Amino acid sequence: MQIRLWINGIEHEWQVPPHETLLNALRRHGYYGVKDGGCQHGECGACAVVLDGVPVNTCVMLAAQADGHRIETIEGMGKHPDLGWRKTEGLHPIQQALVESGAIQCGYCTPAIALAAKSLLDRNLNPTEEEVREAISGVLCRCTGYLKPVQAILRAAAILRGEQVPPIDEVETLAFPTEWPGLTNDVPTVEPKLGSSPSPMVRTQVMPRIWTVMHPERQAMQRVGRPEIKVDAIKLVQGKPAFAGDIEMRGMLIAKVLHSPVAHARIKHIDVSKARALPGVAAVLTYKDIPRVPYSTAGQSDPIPGPLDTFSLDEKVRFVGDRVAFVAAETEEIAEKALKLIDVEYEPLPVILDPADALKEGAPIIHDEPDYVNFGESDPKRNLAARIRIDIGDVEKGFQEADRIYEAEYEVPKVQQSHIEPHVVITYWDENDRLVIRTSTQVPFHVRRILAPVLGLPVKRIRVIKPRIGGGFGGKQEVLIEDVAAHLTIATGRPVMYVYTREEEFTAARSRHPMRIRMKTGVKLDGTITANAMYVLSDTGAYGSHGLTVTGNTGHKAMALYVGDGEYRKAPNIRFYADVVYTNKMPSGAFRGYGVPQGFWPVERHMERIARDLGLDPIAFRLKNAIRAGELHPFSTAWSEGREPRPEIIHTVGLEECVAQGKAIIGWDQKYGNPEWHQVPGKPHLRRGIGVAMVMQGTAIPYLDMGGASIKMNDDGSFNLMVGATDLGTGSDTVLAQMAAEVLGVPVEDIIVYSSDTDFTPFDKGAYASSTTYISGAAVVKAAQQAAERIRMRAAKMLNQRGDGHAEVKPEEIRLVDRKAMAPDGRYVTMEEIALNSLHHTDQEQIMGIGSHVSPVAPPPFAAQFAEVTVDIETGVVTVDRLVMAVDSGVIVNPITASGQIEGGMTQALGYAVCEELKYDEQGRPREKDWVNYHIFRANEMPKLETIFIETFEPSHPFGVKAVAEIPMDGVAPAVANAVLDACGADILDNPLTPEKVWRALRQK
Amino acid sequence: MIIEYYRPKSLEEAVALLQRSQPLTIPLGGGVTVSRMKEPDCAVVDLQDLGLNQIVSQGNIVRVGATVTLQQLADYEGLQPELSLAARKETTYNLRQRATVAGSIVSGDGRSHLLTVLLALDAVLIWAPGEKQESLGDFLALRDVRSANKGLITEIRLTNNAQLKYEYVARTPEDRPILLVAVAKWPSGRTRVVVGGFGKAPALVIDGPDASGAQMALGAMLQNAGDEWASAVYRQDVAQVLLKRCLIAF
Repeated sequence: MQIRLWINGIEHEWQVPPHETLLNALRRHGYYGVKDGGCQHGECGACAVVLDGVPVNTCVMLAAQADGHRIETIEGMGKHPDLGWRKTEGLHPIQQALVESGAIQCGYCTPAIALAAKSLLDRNLNPTEEEVREAISGVLCRCTGYLKPVQAILRAAAILRGEQVPPIDEVETLAFPTEWPGLTNDVPTVEPKLGSSPSPMVRTQVMPRIWTVMHPERQAMQRVGRPEIKVDAIKLVQGKPAFAGDIEMRGMLIAKVLHSPVAHARIKHIDVSKARALPGVAAVLTYKDIPRVPYSTAGQSDPIPGPLDTFSLDEKVRFVGDRVAFVAAETEEIAEKALKLIDVEYEPLPVILDPADALKEGAPIIHDEPDYVNFGESDPKRNLAARIRIDIGDVEKGFQEADRIYEAEYEVPKVQQSHIEPHVVITYWDENDRLVIRTSTQVPFHVRRILAPVLGLPVKRIRVIKPRIGGGFGGKQEVLIEDVAAHLTIATGRPVMYVYTREEEFTAARSRHPMRIRMKTGVKLDGTITANAMYVLSDTGAYGSHGLTVTGNTGHKAMALYVGDGEYRKAPNIRFYADVVYTNKMPSGAFRGYGVPQGFWPVERHMERIARDLGLDPIAFRLKNAIRAGELHPFSTAWSEGREPRPEIIHTVGLEECVAQGKAIIGWDQKYGNPEWHQVPGKPHLRRGIGVAMVMQGTAIPYLDMGGASIKMNDDGSFNLMVGATDLGTGSDTVLAQMAAEVLGVPVEDIIVYSSDTDFTPFDKGAYASSTTYISGAAVVKAAQQAAERIRMRAAKMLNQRGDGHAEVKPEEIRLVDRKAMAPDGRYVTMEEIALNSLHHTDQEQIMGIGSHVSPVAPPPFAAQFAEVTVDIETGVVTVDRLVMAVDSGVIVNPITASGQIEGGMTQALGYAVCEELKYDEQGRPREKDWVNYHIFRANEMPKLETIFIETFEPSHPFGVKAVAEIPMDGVAPAVANAVLDACGADILDNPLTPEKVWRALRQK
Repeated sequence: MIIEYYRPKSLEEAVALLQRSQPLTIPLGGGVTVSRMKEPDCAVVDLQDLGLNQIVSQGNIVRVGATVTLQQLADYEGLQPELSLAARKETTYNLRQRATVAGSIVSGDGRSHLLTVLLALDAVLIWAPGEKQESLGDFLALRDVRSANKGLITEIRLTNNAQLKYEYVARTPEDRPILLVAVAKWPSGRTRVVVGGFGKAPALVIDGPDASGAQMALGAMLQNAGDEWASAVYRQDVAQVLLKRCLIAF
């Protein structure tokens, strides 16, 4: 049928089939700014456009319904101001504000948020914050925590009203209250002091508070430490086709997978003849059609620290959602029809859903295949994917010396990464018969290495391209779907695209490992911890991907924080045992925090309960036992992700400063223990509470994680920076560019970053373990220093050849600053002059540098997480009112992108605290298949978020940085639970804190 | 899959299409539910040109057109705040711009804010052809067994002289509720109590001259109300709290 639309003011006539969604029609016609979150019910909003003035989700609307209507897409909003000889009006003020305010992380939801904002501001130029939050609440963002998008929209409104707004980086020193005037019920919030803001509406809260701990090695820097605009922000805010699925190829097939409806079974019989016969079907593959190669889907370095227990297709299925067959067809509809034509007869096998059952004598064996490849202590006959036994010091002696022993069992749920962009891959043969894999991955180099044997290709015949990624959070540290498309390309010779649906993300992807954790802690009456033991039963699901390393980190980080005090501080007694078991559930895997949130839930709940039982101040008790600068990381001699451990001294610990500043900001001393504050006037069924958790993480994996970088100078004095590091929306490309710019003395805009293409960029292990700024950043600094050395040599030569009577300048005397190579006497040559000279004029050479970095240490960031809650003691409903996180991440390279990491991480962790969990029925069928039932926080229900950075200087990095990306996941859930305990006495040992759990706990008091 | 699309200009034309025996033909409001239907093969009749998108207040009666969107309903100033709130809470901002009131009635489940309060208000559905009236309660009771080609809801009729209060429990402010209690009270004293948050549709607890007996009826009704989201014991206990809050608020 023919429809007529007005898109961005231009009339179009399109032919569309009756069933085609508006989303599909728009993307088919090149409107790639309309993104697809894969959801079935329109719950994510990434596909929103403005239709007749209001934001609508195009995935739940037929193209035919839009006939005769006006549509605005991101392509019509604004453009890059300078397109060569053609100048444009530039970005729309909303887009500009989103860019400047750091409101863009992965950028996948950005077009939809920009359009929702435009719809609002076209009607109301004076919106309140609440109205802004409501207006964008139809769009899910998993990265930002919404704080910066909301502030950006308020800023844009002010600009559109004609008001002056201060530059983002013109923020004055932010206030740190040291004490409150007195006990009041409503402790005032301290807002950032801003420059000459003309009106409160223009005030922006995107900059975090930064408290700098001075260090002699710390020097004034030009680019590092500044809120530079993200290097990819301009393209993302325009909705450019930057993501894996934003291309079309001639003859491209669509892949679909038949997933198992049963949790554990052998495939007795499979008949695909009807599916193969369906017109438009290009290939149907079963386990009979492809080589059987055991591998691990975990995107980790070689050798993978886990069992090889996965096959692209197998004759056995091990969870509801496991793979049964692959189909490639001309269209999605044909592929889906073909799936229904595949006849499968299953021989059901007993199902294990409870991890405790997996270890029982006589339990059904989930991995009985003979070609299973063990790693370490994995033992498939016992359903054991991994086993850890670590004893540090003399734990039993420590228990004997304790005045009290505290034991309790805790539990953490299975939760999903929920990146808004689903897994997307396109594969094709290039003209050299090399297989190209364009994929939404965090680990392009691991994808290439791991898939080579699976596909029967040498590594050199595979090229992996990572375009922009619409969020990953660990879910894309997995070789999850690349093999599907690749097998089908090999089978058909044609390009194949495979895009996961949201249901597949929830039923056939990866999750955080759920765990049962038993804590046993010996404490003296003065609060000294004498011994601390944790036993973890970790549920890896049907496959062992990341099972050992995730669970190892549960102990390695969470059990390292509290070493004890006095003599125990010198020789801590710590035990960490874990069994990682198979069950018939969707596999677990990597998820931001990588086992550490699972560890800090029990540790921080346990510490709170111990402190309260002993009548000790919970903060003082924690700090008394917490690890301090100059001390040995207790696990560093015991465990290192399945590799040889080596001792590590922790040089920087800003935990006490984090506590001091966090307490001040949240008003801890005025609220904790203040009965008046805990009451809500006029609402006797409500109680307020305040809670804290202290946490530490790691920064990369020592002696293993390696990043490479190369940099070359162009004719105009700009630079191409090539990194294998994988920016999955975090802003790592930007901070790497800032570090290069700092060394080279140029603005960030002169650094053109190209990342993650296995053919063109140096190796990098990928985006995980909070490592990019630290590891890849150090590689970039080394590469930039090499280039800088060549620049200085050439500049000295050029200056000395001038013959202008000045004394000879030595290369090492030259400073690189403001695009100039500057001699001490003030003479200089510009970068452009140096570039032209080196490339064209004299003694020609390509000025370039290469660098790679691996670290012998993994310096931990530390943080104090505070939470305020209100509990309805009649219903058990918990409302989180405020989250304050004070973080020691070393020197902050970019305060806006770094605080965006904290805000977004706290928001994900908030879901872990109160609502997110994947549950299964007695047959292993998942309850959550969409974002309707798996609720993630929306803009209009967020608590107040505040970030404080305590800047220590980590001496193992040239700019003093430590990690920031994962630590915000660790403390929110226990801090919220501790606040609930403070509010009403409900003592919850398993998250999330659902209303019924709180209600039950209140009844059991 | 949708194999035919129609956009009739008149109600008669729409009804004629909907009463065809083959192919299966169903009304299309905003499209939020129907547009992604993959099976069975069907034709859709887009209602957008029928003028059913008006809200009209006449005395104590509010007539809500079938294709009035949830956002229109939430924004309409002549409604009680609780009804506006229920419309707003029904789904997300973007979906409210397209989702229609009738569509939400046809597809809503027991966790629907809107269905719960409309049932409390004893809403009446007007069907074409023939302007036949059917109470929402009757419709919900027979929704799963009625034939597909019955006709078309054109209007939802509400009395605006009843006071409405409702309370709910959810994991977060914008999450779907696991328990809802709505109470409508007319000037005559007539009181309807409805409970939702589970099952295929909200359920009427009492419709009486006053609220007496509501607590007991609610407790009895929730005896087996446990599901994967909350236990029956929890719902039984907390529903009484919510009921009490509603009644106190009058």
